[in-house]
Amino acid sequence: METWKEFDANEVTHSVAHHLLAIHELGREYGGWARVSDIARQLDITRGSVSINLRSIKARGLVAEDDRRQVKLSPKGLRIAHGLMAKKTAMKAFMRQVLGIAEDEADVDSCKIEHLLGDVMAERLVHLLRFLLSDDPAAVDAMKRFRQFKKECPESKTCPVCDGQCLIEELAAAAK
Amino acid sequence: MKDPKRNELVEELHRLMAEELEAFLRYFQLRYRLRGVDRLAAENFFDKAREETLEHAEAIASHIRVLGETPKLNIKLEVGGGAISLKDALADALIFEQQALDAYKDMLPRVEGDPGLEDFIRKQIATETEHVQEITMLLE
Repeated sequence: METWKEFDANEVTHSVAHHLLAIHELGREYGGWARVSDIARQLDITRGSVSINLRSIKARGLVAEDDRRQVKLSPKGLRIAHGLMAKKTAMKAFMRQVLGIAEDEADVDSCKIEHLLGDVMAERLVHLLRFLLSDDPAAVDAMKRFRQFKKECPESKTCPVCDGQCLIEELAAAAK
Repeated sequence: MKDPKRNELVEELHRLMAEELEAFLRYFQLRYRLRGVDRLAAENFFDKAREETLEHAEAIASHIRVLGETPKLNIKLEVGGGAISLKDALADALIFEQQALDAYKDMLPRVEGDPGLEDFIRKQIATETEHVQEITMLLE
């Protein structure tokens, strides 16, 4: 499958991820049950939109609905929500503690990525974080060296990351 | 400084107006997704529904103005999809109407004691209840 098509095959879209996480958060104090009106308020969309979105989420067995139209995550939905939260936490920790990105920016960026991150990648990321943030002298040294690492690119085109095309320059141009 | 309860009421009215206007847009698009005999059979129903949701939104906007505020609209909507059967379109309509009914019911305790708004919300509850019953019957 071509890589870009995998976005469509992704089990959880950004919208579905937000609905599942909202239900999970709102339902905490009510045995897992959340009202459509509260989900709408939390996601800043209308109740109509929430209900339309929930229809396909229900059809996929990720949420259950009671006769008062309250919804609750199914075991499968709960598993996905926990996975999303774990991926977001790992991504945010990496951004904050390794890359040194500001809290707000890390929050937004980790939110954008959480549902796209594969399970293997997330697991490896957690292990990398565990290593980098551990007391292992090699990790302490690596973090120290990374923070002191010169941001400026070398004059020569020998950078092992960029492979002849300066990515920093490309990113700076795209940000303009 | 404005009364926080009054601010909350205005916010709720903004949300109600958004529900109605979003339903209006969804009805607008649904009508053109119907094909063939389904379209002929349902055109009037969806035209009427579209007109009514717009009227409701206008009525809410007027109430917001009476409260001294300017209507504020917050809708994030992208509707797609191909041809749709009448049954599926009615199932969508039932969702819009049911959510509108629930929203008006939730609004009622907030407006009790305000003769103009209370009367309006009660009438809306009656109207939306009728719509929900009518669509439910059509789907049976």
